[in-house]
Amino acid sequence: MTLPANQPDRAAVYVVDDDHDLGAAVARLLCRHGHAAEPFLDPVMLLSVYAEAPALCIVTDIMMGDLDGFGFADRVRMIDPAVAIVFMTAWPTTANAVDSVRRYGGLDYLEKPLDETRLLSAVDEGVAWSRRQRSIRARTAALSARERQVFDLLVQGHSNKAVADILGLSPKTVEDHRAAIVAKTGTNGLAQLIALAR
Amino acid sequence: MPLPPSPPRLSIGAVAGKTVPRLADLPWLIGYAAAFAAAHQAAAGWGGQGFYSLLYPAAGVRLALLWSRGPRLTLAVMATELIVQTIAGIIVPGQAGWLTAANGVARPALTYGIVVWLVRHVAARSQSSLGVAPMPLGLAAVTAPVAATMAALPWTLFSPELTGVSGLRQTVASLTGFVVGDLLGVLLIAPPLLWVVHAWQYRPRALHRPTLRQLAGLAEAAVVLGAAIAASTLLAEIGLGVPAAPALLAVAWIGLRFGRTAGWCAIVIVAAIVLPFTATDLPVAERLALHMSLASIVVVGYLAGSFADAQARAQSDLSRRDRMLFQAERLKTLRAMSVAVIHEISQPLSTLAIEAKHLHEITVAADPDIAQTAALIDRKAAALSTLVRRLRRFGGRSVDEPSALPLSALVETVTALTRAEARAARVVVEVSPIDPDLVVFGQEIELAQAVVNLVRNAVQACDGRVALSAHQNDDRVVVMVANRCPDRREARPGMGVGALVARAIVEAHGGTVERVTHADGTICATLSLPRPGAET
Repeated sequence: MTLPANQPDRAAVYVVDDDHDLGAAVARLLCRHGHAAEPFLDPVMLLSVYAEAPALCIVTDIMMGDLDGFGFADRVRMIDPAVAIVFMTAWPTTANAVDSVRRYGGLDYLEKPLDETRLLSAVDEGVAWSRRQRSIRARTAALSARERQVFDLLVQGHSNKAVADILGLSPKTVEDHRAAIVAKTGTNGLAQLIALAR
Repeated sequence: MPLPPSPPRLSIGAVAGKTVPRLADLPWLIGYAAAFAAAHQAAAGWGGQGFYSLLYPAAGVRLALLWSRGPRLTLAVMATELIVQTIAGIIVPGQAGWLTAANGVARPALTYGIVVWLVRHVAARSQSSLGVAPMPLGLAAVTAPVAATMAALPWTLFSPELTGVSGLRQTVASLTGFVVGDLLGVLLIAPPLLWVVHAWQYRPRALHRPTLRQLAGLAEAAVVLGAAIAASTLLAEIGLGVPAAPALLAVAWIGLRFGRTAGWCAIVIVAAIVLPFTATDLPVAERLALHMSLASIVVVGYLAGSFADAQARAQSDLSRRDRMLFQAERLKTLRAMSVAVIHEISQPLSTLAIEAKHLHEITVAADPDIAQTAALIDRKAAALSTLVRRLRRFGGRSVDEPSALPLSALVETVTALTRAEARAARVVVEVSPIDPDLVVFGQEIELAQAVVNLVRNAVQACDGRVALSAHQNDDRVVVMVANRCPDRREARPGMGVGALVARAIVEAHGGTVERVTHADGTICATLSLPRPGAET
């Protein structure tokens, strides 16, 4: 999913690298491909301002000064679980490659010198993933605690009656909750609800 | 240090089995019988009362055989000498005193065999320069005659009537004659015989032309020896006897300066001058004195030469190892440097490649000249990026952490790496099927290197067949490289360093390397590594 460059909602992407030139070059490359990319020299500085201006995707180096790419990924996820992270490194190792994807939820692990096509597709994928995550979060955020319980059971495939039995409610109440859920999430049926929950 | 050989297991049965000569030994024994008979006859010219001869070349033939074919032939040599002397009529079975004669014939052969075995045994374990070839041979050549004389001592002392010698003076003269004759015989005859055997086994490629330095050495030796002979002759002419000191000094000098071949040549020249005199009717005391002087010259010359050769060999071993260490150190530095360089390059190259591609894209429509330049820069930057990535995969592999490696894959790598060399040496490397679940933990390249080194050593030392296998033994994973070794165990250049590297790698992985020589001549290098997860 690539956004046209003239579209106003260009995706915010941060590039973190302690090599200023490389960070700026990658950011400019991403800007040319329709993202609102910005380079950062210091991950700690970015963390301090991140909450006010979250991004959809972060491209980060692994070997950096005080805070390495993995530590930075952990801390940025605590602030924003819906951000996509892409790692890049000049010291690739198999162990790090596995860790970056399995433990730190990275979308990709890129070796320097960067493969441009792969970088762009990783960032595009990350932006799309992040957008979807955010929309799910936005839509389900409005649900009340009880509606949330009903939602969770419904998407597991339980019928209204079964949900009523499990939660100790009357089928009529479940029916009402279900209507509220559909209204709040803007969906039109069980299939879309299930898609939302994925 | 090369792996120490394991001590041979001694049992009565094994010893008895080993002392029986093999079929391959028969031509040697027959040749020995002929040579012994001829040398024994030739010695008669320097005979005297109470001893057979003051120059006994048969002893040299005996030592040469025992040294080149091994002390296991001791009993066979003894039997051969008994047979020869029986045929010659010296031992007449049934006649009075024939057992004493047989004893006198058998004793020296037995003593020589024991001395050769002892010297080899001690030299193999010795850390000093006495253990470095050719020093052990020099020691055996001097010790064996002395030991044989010592073994004769009880008989001459307690049964003088059997040997026909009586009185202290005669006993001492007899024993001195014995030791002098054997010493001269051994030191004059054994070295050239051993050289001939060695040259026949390891045919030299070609006789190299003498260099200027060797010619200068030859001239120096000739001057020294000539001066010594002239001095001795002068002193003899003016009636001061025949002093041995000048020749002794000259021979010692030549031996120390130019090694044992030169020392031996000098000895032969001195002997060739002295021996014709003593073969005539000189009084026994004078002959004995002359031969004693000659024997001391010969011993000093040969030992000095052997010592010089051993020193030279130890020195060259040392400098070879130094060079290898230096080389290894340089390679290590080079690798660290190249990994760092790759890293340093990849950072700016990333920027360069991105910007070059951008430049290329935006100048497509520009002036063709600019567009062409931009396209070229982009292409070169991209090519350089690919190159750096490939280089890193190749050289930077060991910055990788150790990982679990299937042993079957490791062995596959090893056979692939050693195939060409094995084929060139006409050796078959047999790999037993390996349990696919067998896993070791470590750095792939290093462990492969260790096994490759063991296989290469086996290929170099074997007689056509190397067996490679692996199995699990409790909490260890064991890799075995086995080969049968032919008799000659001369160290080849480069041997030992590979095993050293293998051991260093394996020990760094918490394992061990052992080398065991079995009784049937099979050498088995065993590499044992901890099984992953066994220690937790």
